[in-house]
Amino acid sequence: MRSIKHFFEQSWLLIVASFFFGLLIAVTNAALSARIAWNATAKLNTLAGGLLPSATKFTPLDETIDIVARGGKPQALQLYRATDNGETVGWIFTAVGSGFADKIELVVAVNGDLQSLAGFVILASNETPGFGDRIKEDGFRNQFKGVPAGELVISNSGEPGTVVTISGATVSSTAVIETLSHYLTQVKEQMQQKGLVDHDDES
Amino acid sequence: MTTNPDGQASNYTKTLLAGLWRENPVFRLLLGMCPTLAVTAAVKPALTMGCCVIFVLVCSNIMVSLMRNLLKPHLRILMFTLTISTFVTIADLLLKAFQPAMSEALGPYVPLIIVNCVIICRAEACASKNPMLTSIIDAFGMGIGFTLTLCVLAGVREVIGTGKFFDIRVMPDAFVPWAALTMPVGAFLTLGFLLAAANIISKKHS
Repeated sequence: MRSIKHFFEQSWLLIVASFFFGLLIAVTNAALSARIAWNATAKLNTLAGGLLPSATKFTPLDETIDIVARGGKPQALQLYRATDNGETVGWIFTAVGSGFADKIELVVAVNGDLQSLAGFVILASNETPGFGDRIKEDGFRNQFKGVPAGELVISNSGEPGTVVTISGATVSSTAVIETLSHYLTQVKEQMQQKGLVDHDDES
Repeated sequence: MTTNPDGQASNYTKTLLAGLWRENPVFRLLLGMCPTLAVTAAVKPALTMGCCVIFVLVCSNIMVSLMRNLLKPHLRILMFTLTISTFVTIADLLLKAFQPAMSEALGPYVPLIIVNCVIICRAEACASKNPMLTSIIDAFGMGIGFTLTLCVLAGVREVIGTGKFFDIRVMPDAFVPWAALTMPVGAFLTLGFLLAAANIISKKHS
C-alpha cells in the first residue's frame, strides 16, 4: 500500500501531463486531419491530372489490390479510376522503390485498357541534386509515355517501346524503371484477374 | 525588497539578446547541429524549421515554467521530453495542414525536433528555474538566434550552390553553381567557415 502511495506521489504529474498532452494532440489531430487528407488528395489529383489530361475525375476503387511491394512485403495498393464523362480513360496508383539515397515514390498513370503507360511523376525522392534527381526531368520522364505496360525494356539505343537510363544517374534511373516494371506487371495481372480490364489475349 | 523596473527590463533585453550572439545556440553553444546541417540547403526550409523550433521552444518553455515547482528531479527529463514531443507533434500536424510542400521538404526533420538539444537545454537551464515571462523571452531569443543562424547558413549554401536566393535567381548567368554546397559536404564546409568567422569576431570583441 505504501509503495502504491509512493508511486503516485512521485509520478502523478507525469500521469496527469500524459493525459493532458494526449488530449491536446487528439484535439489538434481532429481539427486538422480533414485538411491534411484534402491536401494529399489535391496533390495526387494535380499530379495525376498532368499525366492524364483527358481525365476529369479520379475516383478511388472500392477495394484495394494485393501486391508484393519492392521490399517483399505484402501491400494493399489503392487504385484510382480516371474518368471523362463516365468513361474510363486511365488508372492511377502510387509506387515505391529504393533509390540511391532514399525511397523514391512515384505516381504512375496507365491508359484505360492497361496496355500502355501514360507516364509517371515523382511524388517524393531524396536523390542527389544535379545527378540522381534528374529522374524528375521531362527528358527522362517523357520516354515512358506509350511504352507497353509491363516489364520495361532498357536499351541504349532508345528504340521505340524501350527506355534509356540516365548517364551519371544510373542507380536512380534504373531504380525508377525497376519499380515501374515491378508494379506494372502485378497491377496488370491483378486487375485482369479481378475482371477490371480485359486479358491481353482477348484485347 | 523593491524591484527596479528599469533593471528588470534590462534583464529581459539581456535574456532576449543572449540567444542572438553571446549564447547563440549554433555558433556559441554548438547545439541543434542535426537540423543545422540537414535542412540548410535552401533558405525556405531553413526558415520553416526555425519557425517550428521557435513554436516548440516557446510552448515547451511555458509549460515547463508552469510546472517547475512540481517537477521531481529524477523525472524532470522525462517531463521535458513529454512536453517537447507533444508540441513537436502539433507543429508537424500544423505544417502538414498549412504548409504541405514544406512539410514534405523537411521530411523526418520535423519529428526530429524532439531530440533538438536547444529545446531540452532551455527547458533545463532556464524554464525549470525561472518564471514564465523570463522563460518566454529566453525561448524567443534562443529561437530567433537559431533561426537566423540557419538562414545565414542556408543563404550561403543556396546562393553559391544554386545561384538562387529564396528560389529567385540572384547570381549572373555566367555564374556556375557549385552544387556540392547543396549536398551534405557543403553543410559541413559552410558551417566550419561560419564557426571560424564567429570565433574570430568574438575574439576581437573580447
